[in-house]
Amino acid sequence: MPVSRRSFLAGVAGAGALATLAACANGGAGGAPQTGGRLRAAFVAGGAQETLDPHRLPQFMDQARAKACFDTLGRWEQDMSCTPRLAESWEPDATGTRWRIRLRQASFHDGRPVRATDVLYTYRRIADPATTASAAALFTGIDFAASRAVNDRELEIVLGAPNHLFPVALGSYGSEIIPEGTTSFAAPVGSGPFRFVSFTPGGPALYRRNDAYWDGAPALDELEFLPVADESARVGALLSGQIEYAHDIRATSAQQLASDSRTQVLTAPGAAFQFLYVKHDRPPFDDPRLRQALVLGLDREALARVALLGRGQPGNDMFGKGLQYYPDAVPQRTRDVDRAKALVAESGVTTVELSTGVTDPSWPAATQLIVAQLAEIGLTAQVRNVPPETYFADVRKNATMHFSRTGTLPVQNWIATTQLSSALTNSFSKYVDPEIDRLHAQALADPDEGARAAAIGSALTRIHDNIASPIWGISDWIVGVHGDVKGLQGFRPNTFDWANFAKASLG
Amino acid sequence: MTARAGMRVGLALLQLVAVSVGVFVLTTFLPGDTAEVVLGPLATPEQIEMLRGQLGLDRPVWAQFADWVGGLVHGDLGRSIATGRPVVDDIGSRLGLTVVLALLAVVVLVPLVVVLGLYGGRHPGSPADRLITAATTVAHAVPDFALGLLLVALFALQLGWLPATAAGSVGLSGLTAPMLVLPVAILVSNQLGRLARQVRIGVVEADAAEHVAHLRRLGLAERTVLLRHVLPAGVVPSLQQFARTVDGLLGGVLVVEALFALPGLGSGFVAAVQTRDLPVVQAYALLFAATTVVVNLVADLASARLVPQAVRL
Repeated sequence: MPVSRRSFLAGVAGAGALATLAACANGGAGGAPQTGGRLRAAFVAGGAQETLDPHRLPQFMDQARAKACFDTLGRWEQDMSCTPRLAESWEPDATGTRWRIRLRQASFHDGRPVRATDVLYTYRRIADPATTASAAALFTGIDFAASRAVNDRELEIVLGAPNHLFPVALGSYGSEIIPEGTTSFAAPVGSGPFRFVSFTPGGPALYRRNDAYWDGAPALDELEFLPVADESARVGALLSGQIEYAHDIRATSAQQLASDSRTQVLTAPGAAFQFLYVKHDRPPFDDPRLRQALVLGLDREALARVALLGRGQPGNDMFGKGLQYYPDAVPQRTRDVDRAKALVAESGVTTVELSTGVTDPSWPAATQLIVAQLAEIGLTAQVRNVPPETYFADVRKNATMHFSRTGTLPVQNWIATTQLSSALTNSFSKYVDPEIDRLHAQALADPDEGARAAAIGSALTRIHDNIASPIWGISDWIVGVHGDVKGLQGFRPNTFDWANFAKASLG
Repeated sequence: MTARAGMRVGLALLQLVAVSVGVFVLTTFLPGDTAEVVLGPLATPEQIEMLRGQLGLDRPVWAQFADWVGGLVHGDLGRSIATGRPVVDDIGSRLGLTVVLALLAVVVLVPLVVVLGLYGGRHPGSPADRLITAATTVAHAVPDFALGLLLVALFALQLGWLPATAAGSVGLSGLTAPMLVLPVAILVSNQLGRLARQVRIGVVEADAAEHVAHLRRLGLAERTVLLRHVLPAGVVPSLQQFARTVDGLLGGVLVVEALFALPGLGSGFVAAVQTRDLPVVQAYALLFAATTVVVNLVADLASARLVPQAVRL
């Protein structure tokens, strides 16, 4: 089972990552991009059940296709801050409950202008539980009865509670603006850089340049998305010139592509967080001494070097390194075998269960290492293998200790979806801390950016101190592209620029 | 013989029913359901429940099964839970590719097996025989994925003679002949060793048979002895293995499909199991079971036709 977007979702980078990102750029100096041609991009795809509904994006390829055809009001930058995109500006009232949004002058592919009513229709559809939209949680706080279109290019959104971070929702994947009244996505109409041409579920999707795009027509004539589930097949297709973009490449293949003159490797450092969750609500990890022993017993340097094949860095048990609001001052947790041994002995526990799988290519090696590292502190780990297609549903219910991973997301969104008391049924650790709820609510309600950063930083620090989400490593995200491709860089998945071909060219 | 053939068909129908029930029961034991798989890891329990309701998964499993059987009686395989499209459409789009791959592999495989097996069987222990045995043993021993990567590296990446994958094709649409060369080569290579060695052994035994010696003493032309008597008797012991080969090819060849991005029945079946799409899984299982039954029946009939005295249906 190939690595999928559904098994990834959300994650981030290390210090200095932005500088490294810039170093990975391939669109540097060299004059104007060459226009024309078809860029073929291969991703893992979802098979016959795929649709082009931009609000249901279970796979990375769904997200990339939506990005080609549609626009979002905002854009998620590499640090997960959000800046205006299709929105020209947004402004809250003093309470943070009433947001005035002004739209750019833009039009859908059928010539109709993008209007405020389209935006309201879109967000109402996303918030509707029947849509089962990927970004539903970000829009359920809107009071749609009170929200209104001020005029065609201006709208007022009213929230049920103060939220000074509301604009972050406007840049989310799965919040693409659709024309009012759209119910079918068989031939989708958006306002994005490419127009829909054809699509076969589980097969290719073809798009053509939108010459009327408000941000300038793309250099490419055509953009084709191809499903290639097997990673070695994507690498082979790239090396033989059958495709120009191969998404989600393993560290071992990156070595091969980097040494081949026909291809180049684009790396987004620190793009996926590697967790080792433990359940707080049941034995044996309901004992804080055992949790402490676990995080002190991990040799994170070795895990990053071996399991991540050197394309990653040690984690510090907090989500969001390199992202907005991350508290850099918290010291890196390091290994202390003696202390860990003593804590294990105090707890009286000798055997623990470790659930793992092949959802991420680093997990099999990480499993071996962690079993050996736990043995050094006096714990015998019994490994339980869980199949990839039901991995997350299974471990959420049954595991006491398990691997997980998350891609890049705004830190506050990650807290809201995994760490708040209201998220308990969906939580991997079953950790509940009302103080985190309070800090999160305070961050949303506070108009002062500094106070907001302090509140979110405090919440992350509590998560670190209480071992709510142990993170053993942060892995890079790797894409392979043909040597002629220009205008792309190593971007973190879920950000606006990742898998965005609006500025790409074939020379 | 007709009565025995009738019994075989009756037995085959019973087998299909048993497979259908067995697959249903096993699938219901799998953890998770279509709603969980489709919505992914961050879906809330409320979203999963909502989709379950929309997809009809909140109904009792026996009711879902009864619906499916009811449709089947009327020749309707039902609709995919995940896509809502008729199951026939989902499978049909993959069937053509798998059949073409299987046919091509058989067309290449049969003459090779016959020629190599006949030559080796007629000249056992000769240098050529030893070479053929060694080569086919190696070909059989190398796993599909390893041979695939090797061939892709050589013919697609180094020499640039053939495409590395069939990326961009949908079923047979967009597929070109060069895209099929390496997949067919791997399928043939994997089966060639086993079949050629079996034919070789069969030919050695048939060639040494008393009745063949008698025909030679009667002065029958050697060509006639070989083609009319030695070869048929030498091939019969391999027919069951050949049937298994064809059955395997028609059931989809997962590794080759994955390596070359070929959307055939194998990857379709795996995808259906992964999404817990019960009607599609059931249809695939029925198709594969029917293929097994038919191919084996044909193999038995062929054996009876080639050496009537040696085979009882």
